[in-house]
Amino acid sequence: MSQSKQEKSLVKFPGTGADDFEQYTDENTVLIQRTLRSGQTIRYNGNVVILGDVNPGAEVVAAGNCIVMGVLRGVVHAGASGNEDAAVIAFRLRPTQLRIANHITRAPEDENDTTFFPEIAKIKDGVVTIEMFSTFNDRQIRN
Amino acid sequence: MLDFLAKIFNKDSSSSSNVAKERLQLVLVHDRSSISPELLQVLKTELIEVITNYMEIEEESLEVNLDNKDEQVALVANIPVKKMKRMNKSLSGS
Amino acid sequence: MGEVIVVTSGKGGVGKTTTVANIGAGLAGLGHKVCLVDADIGLRNLDVVLGLENRIVYDITDVTAENCRLKQALIRDKRFNELLLLPAAQTKDKTAVSPEEMIKLCNELKEEFEFVIIDCPAGIELGFKNAVAGAESSIVLTTPEVSAVRDADRIIGLLEASEIFSPQLIINRLRPKMVRAGDMMGIEDIIDILAVDLLGVIPEDDQIVVTTNKGEPVVRDPRSMSGQAFRNTVKRLKGEEIPYMDLDESGFLTRLRKIFNRK
Repeated sequence: MSQSKQEKSLVKFPGTGADDFEQYTDENTVLIQRTLRSGQTIRYNGNVVILGDVNPGAEVVAAGNCIVMGVLRGVVHAGASGNEDAAVIAFRLRPTQLRIANHITRAPEDENDTTFFPEIAKIKDGVVTIEMFSTFNDRQIRN
Repeated sequence: MLDFLAKIFNKDSSSSSNVAKERLQLVLVHDRSSISPELLQVLKTELIEVITNYMEIEEESLEVNLDNKDEQVALVANIPVKKMKRMNKSLSGS
Repeated sequence: MGEVIVVTSGKGGVGKTTTVANIGAGLAGLGHKVCLVDADIGLRNLDVVLGLENRIVYDITDVTAENCRLKQALIRDKRFNELLLLPAAQTKDKTAVSPEEMIKLCNELKEEFEFVIIDCPAGIELGFKNAVAGAESSIVLTTPEVSAVRDADRIIGLLEASEIFSPQLIINRLRPKMVRAGDMMGIEDIIDILAVDLLGVIPEDDQIVVTTNKGEPVVRDPRSMSGQAFRNTVKRLKGEEIPYMDLDESGFLTRLRKIFNRK
């Protein structure tokens, strides 16, 4: 029983506790096993996981979360249908523009991106915040 | 050395820029000569108008085409004549 | 009521987008209200040349499909308050916009702006037809190469067919040294062939690469040769009579050559 539940929520997010995420960490996830190039778009009514990069000019729009196992340089929109709890995770988070629900942000001008670790973007107190993504500290393991 | 001098003084008509210009002019004659069927039809009717002042022709078998050959473009017209008109009154006066 | 000008070349890679960005920035720098329209749907670039790529939310196809209002899609430049960009879509193709929609759009824009400048895609297909549909006048861009001049000639013909007459020519990437050596067609050669009015001559300049890297128009660079050339071009577009700058470096050898050339 507990085993199956853990399998179900393979993708977990830190912060509010895994239970809140169950509504959208279900099977409704699409896996993209390639790099998205300029002009390509992924739109999905659920979570999107990309095994590859998202290049500048490419666009990912997900109703749920968006996870990029690579460099995210394009435009990303998580929680596109209004879900403010949605999050964006990338190995290297360098989006042209990042949107969650109806919040829009862009990287600050003239600031060199020197982060070399995975990051997560989500809405905290009505503002899109970006933090280091660490599975070690925040993951809540449930039995 | 002579080549070099010629280049500097820009008198050599075979300088690559001149070659480019000449080639372009030739190419453009070809490019510009592509004439639309409508325009060709207008040309035909106007030709007939002018020629019938001087002679009777077979209007149906009149052929007008643009011919592209290596170095030039020619307007080729094939106009079968039925009968010449007598024009001496207007020409002989002078 | 403003003027709608399309910048076109036929051939790709001659500098349309850079030219549009610089003319737009130049006009805005002189205090005019300018709107730049990127008509290259599917291959948008004007945003990145202007350094505005991260501000795009809506694009031209959202406007024509009425997903948003025109004002929502316009992006204000970070340097010039009076310069706005209507970006192209990147994830759609040329068929997303029709010539009729472009005409409607241009009519709306010229109510608001003094200059509406359209960045035309390369080629003569639907993208070109869309870009010229709403335009009243045109700037034809070429470089001193046989391929670019030939395509410019074809474009001038097609513009006439769309009833856009007397285009103004900008010769881009001219290298005065090579022209002098007889290894590049000069201004006269090109004018001779194309028989159109000259609006400007932009010398080849490394500085354009540098400023484009930074998403800055070179027209703002007070020292570069190409920046000056663009500033002159902009003034001529406004109808001022500006003499053509001397692109020669007036060294001793140059003067010597001129003396010899005179006879």
